[in-house]
Amino acid sequence: MVSTLSLDAINTLAAMILLADFMLVASSRMRSLTRIFALQSLAMGGLAAVVAFETGAEHIYVIAVLSVALKAVVIPRFIDYITEKIQVNREVEPLIKIPGSLLICAAITILAYFVTEPIMELGTAITSNCLAISFATVLIGMFLMVSRKKAITQVIGLLVVENGVFLAAISTTYSMPMVVELGVFFDIFVGVVIMGIFAFRINRTFETVDSTVLRRLKD
Amino acid sequence: MLIDQLFVVLIALSLLGAVIAAVLNGRPKASVRVAFTVSSISSLLGLAITLLVFSQGQMRWELPFASPFGSLSFTIDALAAFFLGTISVVTFAVSLYSFGYADHYEGKYPVGMLGAMFNIFYVSMVMVVSSSNAILFLIMWETMSLSSFFLVIFEHRHEGTVGSGLFYLIMTHIGTAAIGLGFLLTYAQSGSFDFSSFPTAAQGMSDLLRSAVFLLWAVGFGAKAGIIPLHVWLPRAHPAAPSNVSALMSAVMVKTAIYMLIRCYFDFLGVQDAWWGIAILAIGCVSALLGVMYALIESDIKRMLAFSTVENIGIIMIALGVAMVFESYGLNELAALAMIACLMHVLSHALFKSLLFMGAGSVLHATHTRNMEKLGGLAKRMPYTSAMFFVGALSAAAIPPLCGFISEWLIFQAMLQSFNIPETMVKILIPVALGTLAVTGALAAAAFLKAFGITFLARPRSRDAEDAQEVPKSMLWGMGLMAALCVLVGVLSFAILPVLDQVSSPLVGASIADSLVDGIEIVPTVGEFSQVSPPLIAIILLAVMAMVMVLSQVYGGRRKVVKADTWDCGTPLTARTEYSGRGFSNPINRMFSWVYRPIRTFHETKHPSPYIRTEMRYTSTTEPVFDKYLYGPTEAAVRWVAKKVSVIQTGSIQTYLGYIFVVLILLLVVLRL
Repeated sequence: MVSTLSLDAINTLAAMILLADFMLVASSRMRSLTRIFALQSLAMGGLAAVVAFETGAEHIYVIAVLSVALKAVVIPRFIDYITEKIQVNREVEPLIKIPGSLLICAAITILAYFVTEPIMELGTAITSNCLAISFATVLIGMFLMVSRKKAITQVIGLLVVENGVFLAAISTTYSMPMVVELGVFFDIFVGVVIMGIFAFRINRTFETVDSTVLRRLKD
Repeated sequence: MLIDQLFVVLIALSLLGAVIAAVLNGRPKASVRVAFTVSSISSLLGLAITLLVFSQGQMRWELPFASPFGSLSFTIDALAAFFLGTISVVTFAVSLYSFGYADHYEGKYPVGMLGAMFNIFYVSMVMVVSSSNAILFLIMWETMSLSSFFLVIFEHRHEGTVGSGLFYLIMTHIGTAAIGLGFLLTYAQSGSFDFSSFPTAAQGMSDLLRSAVFLLWAVGFGAKAGIIPLHVWLPRAHPAAPSNVSALMSAVMVKTAIYMLIRCYFDFLGVQDAWWGIAILAIGCVSALLGVMYALIESDIKRMLAFSTVENIGIIMIALGVAMVFESYGLNELAALAMIACLMHVLSHALFKSLLFMGAGSVLHATHTRNMEKLGGLAKRMPYTSAMFFVGALSAAAIPPLCGFISEWLIFQAMLQSFNIPETMVKILIPVALGTLAVTGALAAAAFLKAFGITFLARPRSRDAEDAQEVPKSMLWGMGLMAALCVLVGVLSFAILPVLDQVSSPLVGASIADSLVDGIEIVPTVGEFSQVSPPLIAIILLAVMAMVMVLSQVYGGRRKVVKADTWDCGTPLTARTEYSGRGFSNPINRMFSWVYRPIRTFHETKHPSPYIRTEMRYTSTTEPVFDKYLYGPTEAAVRWVAKKVSVIQTGSIQTYLGYIFVVLILLLVVLRL
């Protein structure tokens, strides 16, 4: 039987992840975006570790460590480095103002609970409560991508989506097989690198990373 | 089985040849030699397969791996073998021709690609007529379309070539869409993509569905065959393509569509409603008449031949339509006669049209122009080419005893039998079609008289024509083979028709081989209605010619030869005083001005004195009716829709992500509710 301590830990960490989602939406500075994302990934790694401890599945430890190393350390640093290198200004530049965004995210979260309700009733897994949060994280990540102007914020949005998917995988099936997880990590890493280079290029060509300018590429 | 092995060898050899030709691209001479040696060998293999199928019965070969669409199999029955044979004979001659023709591309265009695509084109045609699985067929059909597209745009540096190619590509894909839809509707009924399951499936269809499939196939294959109004790609693509390719496309590629029409209607759907045949007949009449009328006023020699292809496809469709009408009334023997006539015209058109395109290619090779108004006087400079073009032109004009005559005569005979049909309306309609066909024949003769006369006779109208020289030997061999076959198929038609009966009898359910041929005479109907003997005609013609020559020598004797100027009204006689192509066709142009809708402009530079004319300019063009009233509005409509749709294509990443986001949210909500 699962100890209450572990359950509490899991729920707390899941709550932190959701909180991080809202903080991401609420932050107006580029620097804080990457920090919060790093925090979220850290919480994710912790959650994975607890799940590993509870289920005794050793490969989840590996995944937890990888997740922390890659998403809490390497990628945020890389993004910071790029932001500095191309000397983009520090404003997040939302298309939808922050208060409005927060309201929309609240609605999204409610929707996520509404959508996952029937699944959670069936759920026997220890982490099944997390499913709603993972849905909310995926959708909020997408919302970030839609509503923020800079190319780099879109990269972070995508990473948040990935975190959500990761959480969903852990909470429903105790993570995917090792090979798949490794593949996903590699994918994310390469994706971020490519997008980083892309941001450089966009900056050089258009003198800005404002992706709304890309509409000039049309026709 | 020997046939299976030959078939596999044919495919493997062609693909190998294509690869080698492409690899040798850097060494054009070697590449040409390899490519066309391979294509001539593989076309001989195709011919061998045809002969084996006719003597030993049908071949079936399956690809040795599983697919989600059932067994991917090839079947060559008598019908497929007939088309395979036609394709192979033409490809063999064109391959010979190409050895010489590809020469002048060396250094200008990647000849290796021409050779590679040529081989792929041939093998895809072979597989189109032999596929017996709908998916496999569509793949091959697409390969054929794409390889021919690449061949059409081969001379891509010429202005307008790529545009013509794209036009062809779009038309052929509209057709493919209709064909695919027809197959899917049949598949929904049969549950299998194998052709052998289609006939039973068609029996289970409702009348409406079956008619819908009939129309889809008529449009789909019609677009490839070039029926009016889907013919517009022919006069663009054929002149743009290298001449050896236009020969193949015009002579045999469009026939694959005819093959599929016969296969689909007689084999799959079964001909039951009389209106199907009437519809095909009507399409045929319109195509034949308008095709030949446009051919007559055309002064670009290859465009003229392209329009003549439209005309001949029309004639083939007329025969097919008549066969369908007879079949629907249960008059199987008459249907057999019409079907044999149809197949005969497929064969003879393949022979003479490839010959004519090769001839036009030789003219182009020697003079670098396709405009008849700039040619002339080539008969002296290129005697062999002109002699062979003459044979082709006679055949196209249906002069006995050449092959074109036999097929058209048989079509007439079949149509004259329409009094056997019980329905009065149909009895009246077919003679109308008969009249159309007769007019078409007369105009075709005029068109080819013009094409030959203006191009080869009289004096050269330009420097290029004056400097023309006979083309290389391999080109002459290619043309010579076709010219010989034009004559032989005509004269020996009494031996060929029983073979065609073998093709048609499983389709229409009646064999008329016994009554059709009597010794060296062809007797298409029972009793004393009509008969003809091509060898006798040939002998009589030769005898009369010899007699006239002898008599004129004996009684005429040698006349005194006077060398002096002709009366020239005081102006020197130059090429500009010659009869021009436009002048020749102008009476017809005026007579049918309601069809051609000519636009004439006259412009004169004024001079103070009314007695002095300095410069006069007269232009006369034909209104492109189909482009203006059918394709123009269609294009405008498509552009309009595209413009409206492009509103949602903002080019902003956020908007695209927003679409995904909104759809995702909506789906989640909908699925939850």
